[in-house]
Amino acid sequence: MNRLTSRQRKLVYLGVIVVLLVPIIILGRPASGTGSSRDQGVLAQLRTKYDLGENQLGQVDPTSSAMNLVLLGFRGIAADLLWAQADENEQTKNWAELKANVDAIIMLQPHFVRVWQFQGWNLAYNVSAAWDLVADRFFWVKEGAKFLKKGRAINEKVAQIPYEEGRVLGTKIGRADEWKYYRKFFRNDPNTELYKGGPDKDVNPKGTDNYLAAKDVYLIANDLQAKYPQSISMLDVLFRSYPYRSQLNEADALQREGHFDDASKNAWDEGYREWVEKFGQEKFFGPGQIEYHLEMQPRDVQEASAAQNTDPDEFEHWVMRMQNETRYPYWKFRSQAESAQLMVDAHKLIYDGEKLFVQGKLPQAKDMLFRGMTLYEQLFNKYPVLATDDEALEEAITAVYYWQRILKLEFKPVQAQYPLAVTYENHKGMLPQIESRFKRETGQD
Amino acid sequence: MSFDPLPFDVLQGVSTWLKVMIAIVGLVLVVSIAGSLGLGLSGPVRVFKQLFSAIRDISEISLRRVWALAALTAREAIRRKALLVFGLFALLFMFGSWFLSGGGEKADIQIQRHVVFVFTVITWLVLPVVLMLACWGIPEDIKARSMHTVVTKPVRRVEIVLGRMLGFGMITTLVVAVMAIAGFIWIDRQVSDEAHGQLVCKVPIYGKLSFLDRQGNPASSGINVGDVWTFRSYIEGSTKAAAIWDFDRLSEASAMPLPPAKDGSEQRGLRVQTGFESFRTHKGLIGSGLLCQLTLVNPTTNLRVPLPAFEVAEYRGDANVTPLPAMLTYYDSEARKNKTADLFKDIVSDGRLKIEARCLNGEQFLGMARPDLFIRTADRPFAVGYFKAVVGVWLEALIVVMIGVAASCFLKGPVATLMTFAMLIVGVSFRGMVDKIVSGDQLGGGPTESIYRMVTHLNQTVDMDLSKTVTGTIKWTDWLAQQGIWLVQQTFPNFSYFSMSAYVAKGFDVDFRAAILPSIAVALAYLIPCVLLGYFALKLRELESK
Repeated sequence: MNRLTSRQRKLVYLGVIVVLLVPIIILGRPASGTGSSRDQGVLAQLRTKYDLGENQLGQVDPTSSAMNLVLLGFRGIAADLLWAQADENEQTKNWAELKANVDAIIMLQPHFVRVWQFQGWNLAYNVSAAWDLVADRFFWVKEGAKFLKKGRAINEKVAQIPYEEGRVLGTKIGRADEWKYYRKFFRNDPNTELYKGGPDKDVNPKGTDNYLAAKDVYLIANDLQAKYPQSISMLDVLFRSYPYRSQLNEADALQREGHFDDASKNAWDEGYREWVEKFGQEKFFGPGQIEYHLEMQPRDVQEASAAQNTDPDEFEHWVMRMQNETRYPYWKFRSQAESAQLMVDAHKLIYDGEKLFVQGKLPQAKDMLFRGMTLYEQLFNKYPVLATDDEALEEAITAVYYWQRILKLEFKPVQAQYPLAVTYENHKGMLPQIESRFKRETGQD
Repeated sequence: MSFDPLPFDVLQGVSTWLKVMIAIVGLVLVVSIAGSLGLGLSGPVRVFKQLFSAIRDISEISLRRVWALAALTAREAIRRKALLVFGLFALLFMFGSWFLSGGGEKADIQIQRHVVFVFTVITWLVLPVVLMLACWGIPEDIKARSMHTVVTKPVRRVEIVLGRMLGFGMITTLVVAVMAIAGFIWIDRQVSDEAHGQLVCKVPIYGKLSFLDRQGNPASSGINVGDVWTFRSYIEGSTKAAAIWDFDRLSEASAMPLPPAKDGSEQRGLRVQTGFESFRTHKGLIGSGLLCQLTLVNPTTNLRVPLPAFEVAEYRGDANVTPLPAMLTYYDSEARKNKTADLFKDIVSDGRLKIEARCLNGEQFLGMARPDLFIRTADRPFAVGYFKAVVGVWLEALIVVMIGVAASCFLKGPVATLMTFAMLIVGVSFRGMVDKIVSGDQLGGGPTESIYRMVTHLNQTVDMDLSKTVTGTIKWTDWLAQQGIWLVQQTFPNFSYFSMSAYVAKGFDVDFRAAILPSIAVALAYLIPCVLLGYFALKLRELESK
């Protein structure tokens, strides 16, 4: 039987509350303004120690924090429902609702990196592909990039998010079927009302080439990866090659667009310099803690293995393997070769020949293409490495394909002997892809 | 539009309602009479006495007393701080723009997001408040014994139920109205200047859609290109495939001012708006959209007037609008010369008009559904559609009030809340799934077949390897169960009609016959059973049983 009076009971409750408050204060005291660990509670100290505080992960979004607080423990259920809704909206092509769902999901799970990766990719690749007009597609590619940029700000230590952003800015814009439009739109946004003919500063603040913008964010990814050791989805050496590859890709893209002037030459020179002098000199670690860099020559390998007291064969095997993974020798060679006049002439002749074909100037096109093919054959003979490069092969076989199309239109047979005949016969597997591109660019079957 | 606003069939609705009412009332009567037989013959007599008394009570309802009770209910709701919901509402709207990014967003997407936000906030703030008020009012009165005082006054139980419903209805009206006005002002201020021009309500006239296949023969639908969403079907380009819309009741009265002609002269006529989807089997010309050509056909004389082809702009709202001036100049390919036709005299015949759509690009497809082509009459102000859609939210809240009050007459507050909430959730979220079960479209069959499949680990898509008799018996028992589920399903309100924000978000006026009429019908359909249920529950229950 309870013999305590109501007042006594209340006093007991008060006492229990005060006793319980003590551990709560010790454990949960917030971080003080000075940040000194002496002023912090146990949990706050642990948060600081393991970098788990919201403000240590990146910019704090007050809306997101408020939403998570309001939902108490139902964040997971809410996020699940939103994912299901987003999926449904994507299927039924309710793009506005999809975007709203994605934004809400990210408010609930601001530090779930896979969500940023998946939804950024989804917007830039899948949603953009669902639209028909190029300007609309570009809008969604930008939405993907903007989404990842936001993710980068909220997760300031995660290297994977800027890496994904770099892929959208670099590969998606520079290598999609619509790349010619996308690259142009990147500098001059199609929404002229809003951007007045300039770039969308949210994705291209410097108004630069897409590959150079990608390079900037890849460099951020590299810095984060060096500063905060973390698990990345690929080999270290490959991950760190992307900014330098972007520089080379810019040079390549300039040529694909028909720029055979100083701009492309300078881009190749810069690409070579960065590839060899920066990326080539970066230190990496292999099995057994061997320390190597990609610019190592056989003699360097011997010396390094002796100095590090490791098996020279294994050392060499590893360095060569990593060089192949990054296609280090190929890019080094190519960036050097692209500066050569012979190479520039070959590209220019083929580019002009294809352009003349589209304009219907067949005799001039045939002549240009034939001369380009001749130069390309000389290049393949002079630099055999070039004959293993898919891009070089595609360009060469495309030239032959255009040239043969002209002969067909002129009702003339293709002679048994012509420049690049052997290369053409050996790589006929590339023809369906080339035919499809031909169809797209010329509008002919 | 991503949905088809089909007109509501009032006759079918009334007949379904009558069927359900007869089934439920019959069931209740049979059970009551059977249960009362325990008292001998006097049992059924008591049941019928109660029925006659009910008829008398209902016929003698005093509107004055109902109004007095309603006013008291409204006052009580205000005293219970129901209007505090405005504070939460203001808070959400003050910070709502944080949740909705704005810069660089497409105008139509911007509008959709703001409209959907406003309607979601209004709906999910109003519904819980009215649900709680309606479900807790009567149980609290019974608990506090104030109900005991009320029933001793010259007031009928049916009037108490009606008074409660009306009172809470008034509070609902006030809350929805204030929120709707605030929401409207908020949208108007939040939407950027560029998007402001698109804040209108399109008023469409829809036709009836039919298809021709690639050989030019009539077909029930177009081609399925493999899209998971089968809302649209597709026609192949550079073939005889076409989609044909048949319009009727068109007249010169539908004509409206069009943009000036090339020579600057003013013109009137109609506008045809399309919203087709493109499907490419190859990239084609990347920089250009697929080409579509519309042909106007006089259904009587078969005069064909081809319109200039246009590039299809997918999901771009108002990008594909073709003006049809009263005097149309077109190229007659048979006569090989330009001709002129009067839209309302030569092409529209007795108010009827056919519009054919074809895709001009070989090996490419255009996807279309009935609402993808319509004649767009003069736009109405955004406010018209917006406030019509608010009516949907208001009616939805009224249904919650009716169900809540009825439930609170025979259940305690928490249980009544749970029941009403369950009806709301089932009506809003699970309607589609139950529809599939009832229509037999659900893979794996009904309950018996499902049990058999679960026990034998049989895949839903594999036929049951059983004798004809056993399969027949399973199917028959499932059919029987489906009828039961159908009856239960009909007791849950179809809330899909009430969500009219989709019209406004997509820039359309709310269709009266497809949205407002069925919403009113559903609300009325629930009023009678809810009042009767509440009345009998309050009349037959023991008030002292709290």
